[in-house]
Amino acid sequence: MSSEPLLRVENLKTQFFTEEGTVRAVDGISFEVREGEIVGLVGESGAGKSVASMSIMGLVESPGEIVGGEITYKGETLFGLEEGPDGELRERDDMLSSEEIRTRIRGNEIAVIFQDPMESLNPVFTVGGQLREFIELNRGLPEDEARTEAIDMLREVGIPDPEERYDEYPHQFSGGMRQRVLIAMALACEPSLIIADEPTTALDVTVEGQILDLVDDLQEKYGTSFIWVTHDLGVVAEICDRVNVMYLGEIVEKAPVDDLFYDTKHPYTNALLNSIPRPDRTVTELEAIEGVMPEAISPPSGCRFHPRCPDAREVCKRAHPEAKTVADADGEPHQAACVKHDAFDAGYDQSSPLEGAAVDAGPAAVEEPESELTANPAGDDSGGEQRE
Amino acid sequence: MKLLKYATYRLLQSIPVLIGISIITFLLANLGPGDPVSLMLQGQEQNEALVRAIEQRYGLNKPLHERYLTYMGGLLEGDLGQSIHYRRPVTDLILERVGPTLLLVLSAYAFALVTAIPLGVIAANKRNEPSDHASRVAALIGVSTPSFWIGIVLILIFAVKLEWLPSSGLIYPWRPPSTYRSIDGHLELYYQSLRHLLLPMIALGTLQMATIMRVERTQMIESLQGEYVKLARAYGVPERTILRKHAFQVAQLPIVTIVGANLSTAIGGAVIVETVFNINGMGQLFVDSIQQNDYQLMMGVTMMLGVLFVLGVIVTDISYAYIDPRVTYGESE
Repeated sequence: MSSEPLLRVENLKTQFFTEEGTVRAVDGISFEVREGEIVGLVGESGAGKSVASMSIMGLVESPGEIVGGEITYKGETLFGLEEGPDGELRERDDMLSSEEIRTRIRGNEIAVIFQDPMESLNPVFTVGGQLREFIELNRGLPEDEARTEAIDMLREVGIPDPEERYDEYPHQFSGGMRQRVLIAMALACEPSLIIADEPTTALDVTVEGQILDLVDDLQEKYGTSFIWVTHDLGVVAEICDRVNVMYLGEIVEKAPVDDLFYDTKHPYTNALLNSIPRPDRTVTELEAIEGVMPEAISPPSGCRFHPRCPDAREVCKRAHPEAKTVADADGEPHQAACVKHDAFDAGYDQSSPLEGAAVDAGPAAVEEPESELTANPAGDDSGGEQRE
Repeated sequence: MKLLKYATYRLLQSIPVLIGISIITFLLANLGPGDPVSLMLQGQEQNEALVRAIEQRYGLNKPLHERYLTYMGGLLEGDLGQSIHYRRPVTDLILERVGPTLLLVLSAYAFALVTAIPLGVIAANKRNEPSDHASRVAALIGVSTPSFWIGIVLILIFAVKLEWLPSSGLIYPWRPPSTYRSIDGHLELYYQSLRHLLLPMIALGTLQMATIMRVERTQMIESLQGEYVKLARAYGVPERTILRKHAFQVAQLPIVTIVGANLSTAIGGAVIVETVFNINGMGQLFVDSIQQNDYQLMMGVTMMLGVLFVLGVIVTDISYAYIDPRVTYGESE
């Protein structure tokens, strides 16, 4: 597939200007979504996944702001900067105005499914009414046709008796059913791309399985592309075609899903994989990732993962690697941002191991097998920068 | 019909409350200082036989519980006894006076809601901008200024200095005074009625307005941060519609509660505002009854205010259940 991708994000930077300082929530990420594929955006809480997806929609809330990069969707510029005559960066002329993004992009081109189905629906309007409103708005249908469409869509996502349930309120629906409604909303607007921001995190495992099956079926039927934001590698394995692993605002590994799991190139991805329970391995103890993710307000020098990295050496404190292609996966590049790969030539092999490196003491024991990847539930404060 | 059932249920529930009110007012009125018999005999020569005769006639020589039961018996028939001061049935007096008070309280609420809700929404939308700070200061002043003072200042400015509006009395469209009967057309009557109502309405409504405005602002800010607002934005709903519909509707639920909960303040405030503006309402009747030691009238007015308050709370509850789909009518689904 050499044609222009549906969505291209290049060197996107989104920052939050807080009183404590500038939070570089998304710090130069690039990825693309092609037609009909599900792209995963994976990482711990705070890695910048949600901010990245909201940046695409132009919905970053104050004090946040996109400060750099370019977002192109179907050949149109959703965000782009250029250098003005005064040397200051300014928004490019071909960039869509916020009004154009609202009317032409949001909903009818790019739709979202949010994380929390309990809170995402408005409690004082009927489920059908909310669905109908978005259909009317984004497809320009008259009220009665939008209503029919809404009921059909509710049936499509597996809600029984859609005619009756159309007039019910969100509190009369279970969590799983509400998430189905949100999926119906997204699909009913007939977008080309759906951003699913941790859509199954709030659901129990059985319902999560049902929802994933549903999305798989519907994705096949409608051919919609997805950006699937999650911290759950199990979900990624089940649903995604290609995966971007994020750490502290950066994409550290990027690969087709099978290569990511079977030919892991970045120590962080590796650590993530080791920290989830796997049925094909008998383990008595799970390996949690040492420490907690540092704040994006003052990221560690060099490679941002080095304070927690089991493979870290002296060079990692200095060299800040950009993701480079380190392997070829059937014509797809497999990229990773780690200097231990030959492609970087940063002198990793000659560099001496870090003193008191994180994982020398052996893997930390985690009593309960948590699916949430946020490491070290004991709340070890010594994580991050302090270990330098 | 669930609504009707709920309303009936709530009305039945209020019966014990009203009985409670009646017991407390009866005890307070009868155990309080002052002797009604000497009041009735004011200016007359008092002798033992006359006092006995009056006590006999009004049943004042009977034990307290018997008197209470007699009073309750009359109450059930709508008879609140005889006013000693006015020498007329208390029920008649109250029926004459309840209209002005209702007019005053309801218009004060109307004024408060009509001004406070838009101001609250604007403050929320312009959060931490100058207009928000201005509204915060205004609300603080509104909450902390007593209504009688506002009333007096309003009279000084608009009635005395500028002579725009009348300083006292009300004109009731349903009972036009003789001076206005000659005036042709209802329009003039309503106009005069409104002119008289304006100042007392503002004096009584300012406190409510300030309270409602602050709650409206807080609720709107919370509502605007809701996930459902994020969702509406993500689906391209215009900001205007989000403000007016998606966020607004959710934010109104607590306003209903505030209106209901502040009803007692409003009724209490009406007593004072009626005195300031010389309005012949329940409030003045109440003040008269206390000053004249007219215990029958005092009990009657207190009962009536109690009934008004209970009814107000019931209406609040019903409208809450009506507005918020999550509130059920007291039955399990």
